[in-house]
Amino acid sequence: MRVLIVEDERKVAKALRDELEAEHYDVRVAATGEEGFFLVNHESFDLVVLDLMLPRRDGIEVLTTLRQRGLNTPVLILTAKDTVDDRVHGLDSGADDYLVKPFAVAEVLARIRALLRRGRPDQTLTLQQNDLEMDLVTRKVVRATRLLDLTVKEFEVLEYLLRHRGRVVSREMLARDIWRVTARATPFDNVIDVTIARLRRKVDDPFDTKLLHTVRGVGFVLGAERG
Amino acid sequence: MRLGPPSLRARLTLWHAGVLALVICAFSVGVFVFVRARLYGALDQQIGHDLATIEKVYREETGDLGELDHRMAITLFEVVEGGTVIYRTRGWPPATTTPYRTGTMADTSHRIAVARDATAVRETLRTLAIILAIGVPCAIGLAIAGGYFLAGRLLAPVGAMAETARRITAESLTARLPVANPRDEFGRLASVFNDTLSRLHEAFEQLRRFTADASHELRTPLTAMRSVGEVALQRTLNVAEYREVIGSILEEVDRLTGLVENLLTLTRAESGRIPLARDVVDLGELATSVSEHFRVLAEEKEQTLRVGSIAYIKAECDPAILRLGLINLLHNAIKYTPHRGTISVQVKAGSPGEAAIEVRDTGPGIPTVDRTRIFERFYRVDGGRSRDTGGVGLGLAIARWAVEANGGRIEVESEETKGSLFRIVLPSSPAD
Repeated sequence: MRVLIVEDERKVAKALRDELEAEHYDVRVAATGEEGFFLVNHESFDLVVLDLMLPRRDGIEVLTTLRQRGLNTPVLILTAKDTVDDRVHGLDSGADDYLVKPFAVAEVLARIRALLRRGRPDQTLTLQQNDLEMDLVTRKVVRATRLLDLTVKEFEVLEYLLRHRGRVVSREMLARDIWRVTARATPFDNVIDVTIARLRRKVDDPFDTKLLHTVRGVGFVLGAERG
Repeated sequence: MRLGPPSLRARLTLWHAGVLALVICAFSVGVFVFVRARLYGALDQQIGHDLATIEKVYREETGDLGELDHRMAITLFEVVEGGTVIYRTRGWPPATTTPYRTGTMADTSHRIAVARDATAVRETLRTLAIILAIGVPCAIGLAIAGGYFLAGRLLAPVGAMAETARRITAESLTARLPVANPRDEFGRLASVFNDTLSRLHEAFEQLRRFTADASHELRTPLTAMRSVGEVALQRTLNVAEYREVIGSILEEVDRLTGLVENLLTLTRAESGRIPLARDVVDLGELATSVSEHFRVLAEEKEQTLRVGSIAYIKAECDPAILRLGLINLLHNAIKYTPHRGTISVQVKAGSPGEAAIEVRDTGPGIPTVDRTRIFERFYRVDGGRSRDTGGVGLGLAIARWAVEANGGRIEVESEETKGSLFRIVLPSSPAD
């Protein structure tokens, strides 16, 4: 999988590159709009991560060129502009998804996976991690033969964590994808923390192996060991 | 010192003098015409009288006509009968060098003509004309001078106000214009200006407080990040400790992010740059779904969270923004209500044309002095900035904006130690 990152902020570009390479993506980084423009025109990528505010050439311009060439490469836009108009403009110009800075790297990775997965039907019927098993059809969760009694929200959160197992899920991702709270200025962290704590009581407390971990300052991860 | 805008003074004077000149001229012409008519009228009456006397003498005693001259002082007349002059005084016909007023009386048989000297009338009229010709310009001149003086007097307060206003800057917003008479026009103007100054002063004060609070809130996490990072760099730590340090820094980043998000939301809201959607929103549904989100928090504190909605109450507003407002209110209620307290969310019809969502808690209540200020950004009742309760004091500011943007208002009722009631009042949408 070849990913192009067009981002002028070196630290952000490096963090993304390191993370993506750790997940075995083939990563190219362009530090200016011009370079991104050139690379997009001469090489082919499976996905483009594009910063909108770039020196010399606007991200939107890179995006428009890409689409004019008839390429359907998924594009994930990163930007500090977060008004509805900016978002609409970005998506209208042909972007597939949108992330507002500051973002959690974990979330960028999740979005990239989702974009690359897009179009492939989801055939998963059960999700599993160690002895924890979730049946998506009967909506039953079993750990080591014991049936767990989860509320609807807890089930959704656990499903989300299982789908992203081994990877960090941020509070922001949960707020948006589970609670459908899109406004970023919402006091919602407590609700998420309490829900996770309750989930942990049911999923982990009775067992020796802990699966649900908190990554301080980032979010949560489901896995046998602390990610 | 300039007395206000000179053009205004000049305009006032001109208008004043112009109107006065018009009035004086019209009056003078009127007087002249009237006096002239009266004087000639009197003369004509005298002539009529003379004619009647001559007629009488002519009919009764034609020979006495000659005596009329010195007996009746009728000095100029002639009587003609059938083309023959019967009597004619000396000097008839009247000379054209002096003005004469004449009158005739004709019959089939005879004709009588009389003339009287009008020199006195002419003289009187001329004198009057001269008096008027000198008096009118003088009066107009006086009117201009007086008008100019009066306009200056009248406009002097404006100049003084302008001078005072010029001296008032952002630094001296406490200064006020003197109000001499609050009931006259200038007094009202000064009062209005003073009110504006008060509001400006208040706005500047708020901004000042806001800047101080915002920098405090922004610096706190920055300081924490910096010191945690510096300390960590000075020592050799193991992996777990490094994780701890980085996690701690990331937590502060989260706090900063949240703060910036909230501030941006408020700033955009205040500059009116958040476009509002208009939908018919079922308030009961909204209250229920928001409450369900927060139920876990209430349960965790063993609080009772009740939601009551009597009927289908709807309001036309932006659902996402109204939701944000309610989320902030409910979050506050749960946060400040102690363990085993009760929070109830009620959707009501309220007064006609209004719909209300009430959030009632059994928290500590809000002291009266703070009640009006709790919606200010960063304002906190306890005055302290404890980080345990979380948040930075922007929740209610956001809630108020969210409700007001939707054409509603937030009301607060509170009793210390008993609890508070926050009421969102919205214009209701007619039931369909």
